[in-house]
Amino acid sequence: MRRRLLEAIGVAAVIIAVAGILKGSRGSGEGTAASSGPAPKTAWGEPDLQGIWTDVFQTPLQRPAKYANQEFFSDQERAELDNQRSAIPRRDKRVERGSERDVAGAYNAVFQSVRPTGRRTSLVVDPPDGRIPSLTPEAMKKTGLEREYRLALLQPTNTCKNQEPGCAGGKFGPVSPKRLQVPPLYNTGRLNRNNDPEDRSMSERCMAAVLPDFAGYRRIVQSPGSVSIFYDTGQGQGWQRVIPVDGSPHLPQSIRLRFGDSRGRWEGNTLVVDVTNFSPKVSFMAARENLHLVERWTRRDETTVEYVVTIEDGTTWTKPWTIKQELTRQDEQANRIYYEPRCHEGNYGLPTMLLGARIEERAFAAGKGPDPATKDTATDFGNEGGVDALVGGGG
Amino acid sequence: MGNRFRGSTMAIAIVSAAVGAVVSMSVTRTTGQTSRPARTADGKPNFSGVWQANNEASWDLQAHEARPAPVTQPGVYPYEYARVPAAPLLALGAAAGVPGSLGVVQADGQIPYKPEAAKIKKENEDNWIDRDPELKCYLPGVPRAMYMPYPFQIVQSTNKVQMAYTFAGAARTIHLDKVEGPPDDTYMGHSVGRWEGDTLVVDVTNFNGKNWFDRAGNFHSDAMHLVERFTPISPDAIRYEATIQDPNVFTRSWQIAMPLYRRLEPNAQIIEYPCIGFAEEFLYGHVRKQPLVKRWEGETMIVDITRKVPPADRFHEWYRR
Repeated sequence: MRRRLLEAIGVAAVIIAVAGILKGSRGSGEGTAASSGPAPKTAWGEPDLQGIWTDVFQTPLQRPAKYANQEFFSDQERAELDNQRSAIPRRDKRVERGSERDVAGAYNAVFQSVRPTGRRTSLVVDPPDGRIPSLTPEAMKKTGLEREYRLALLQPTNTCKNQEPGCAGGKFGPVSPKRLQVPPLYNTGRLNRNNDPEDRSMSERCMAAVLPDFAGYRRIVQSPGSVSIFYDTGQGQGWQRVIPVDGSPHLPQSIRLRFGDSRGRWEGNTLVVDVTNFSPKVSFMAARENLHLVERWTRRDETTVEYVVTIEDGTTWTKPWTIKQELTRQDEQANRIYYEPRCHEGNYGLPTMLLGARIEERAFAAGKGPDPATKDTATDFGNEGGVDALVGGGG
Repeated sequence: MGNRFRGSTMAIAIVSAAVGAVVSMSVTRTTGQTSRPARTADGKPNFSGVWQANNEASWDLQAHEARPAPVTQPGVYPYEYARVPAAPLLALGAAAGVPGSLGVVQADGQIPYKPEAAKIKKENEDNWIDRDPELKCYLPGVPRAMYMPYPFQIVQSTNKVQMAYTFAGAARTIHLDKVEGPPDDTYMGHSVGRWEGDTLVVDVTNFNGKNWFDRAGNFHSDAMHLVERFTPISPDAIRYEATIQDPNVFTRSWQIAMPLYRRLEPNAQIIEYPCIGFAEEFLYGHVRKQPLVKRWEGETMIVDITRKVPPADRFHEWYRR
């Protein structure tokens, strides 16, 4: 009997050893394990999304109407577009030195990233015509009120006097009584007023980043049960999220967050992330607290992650819509394109805008300067026509 | 015959238990971090999860008794131990106090400042409200982010360890693989790590010198070189040590050490602390067209606030030493 027991223990030892070997063979070494096929796996056997990723192509958000339901350019169309785009003079002209327009146009061509034309005719792939669905009547009313307010603040400026694109939909006139009123919604854009930090855009306040983000670099680091994504976006306004992939439920509805609350799960090789609980202080194309995202992240091959996001807000758009984007892996060694988010720490611009306005107000009160209300500190001069009329969008 | 049968049944039970144990060690549980495996797939201690220091280092690294407030003024008596809260903190009563602490500075508990630097430390203390970068919601830097009173999350992979902090959404990537340095000096430093047995050793450099260690004015320069050591005490506790070298500020290197504790609540997670918005009134309220925060009135106290705009050459740098 003892011999039987010893034999049985011997068998047990072999089984344990075999199980150990099987566990060890799942892969070792770097976070991006040696790929055993088109889609690499992590050391613990999950699809590997890790690395620094960005969209290296210029693709407009919406599809120009002439491409109708065509999702991809032909190679010839792409080459032609690249030719045409390289012939467009970039934003490099000076106007009258020291004028408002000259200062406002200070971001010349050097500051603009120009990427080659991508395969896709648009980021939007659903609806099939590549156009964002129409706004709901409720949303149209809200954006209408906001536009009306913005234009009222531009009323006494040269922008409106000269009927420039920045005043489209508005008219020239005296200083509006709306200047003394609070905006109809929590403002996230640039108003033509400098009473408070809240009059300036989220970008000027260093809080411009939103989810979903299509433009920046993202560094993904994974561990079992969580996926960390750090976004380097918007001139040092980057941000961090960690997606729990552990079956936990969303936070209570009462908790509202700038980037919402993310919950992930694996469906085969795709990380599906559900994002809710957005804050009313944040605006993604007019959607606020009712925004709901379903993201799908898939490592397609060694250098590509496919990012798909379905964007839904029944109070803003009449239908959900979907974006699809290919992200290309960046060199990790170089690391030099990956900056920490320190817009706020270096935000000299915002307090200076306000201080400048206070100085102008004092000068005006002393009869020594124009009424600051007649100046335009909101319009993005030089960009109204869109730099890339042919392809448009991006960055 | 009966005995043999019993023997093999027992053997099967041993085998099943053994195989079960091996399998369960390699399975990642999906029911929250309380059942996380103690080791990662590549055999390292598993630091992934939500952690928090549980001490008073964020107030003051050194051992100290409790104080009435971070900023005080003379009381009735001319003794240090008889001071009272200064005006900005008076309204918070006992909630404004600084808790006592055993301190986290090792060896003799002293921070070896050079004489000029010791003076700056004292000035920082006295001018906490104008100078502490934390109050402006600036990126807190390392090591301060490690012991601020908020949870942080570690996502540990095989070539990178990401740390996501609650305060200001700060984060850092610890590179276990080879990367070039950052293009500029940074608030959060450039972290390069390696494993020495079960200890994660991290070299942090490329600081811009704009950070403090705590709310007591302890500071460093852009020459600081930090060496951190993360050693597991148990699956739910890490011993964190940091050796600080900064020849511009200190006469020798010195060390802090503390446990970091895993947040064991089910589904523990970071909830954002988006303090840029919180700090705007503090930072920019003095240049609003109309002052916004002016006055508060309670049963026994009225607090009136007057803002002032520093002169042009100090407008942006009003907090610099």
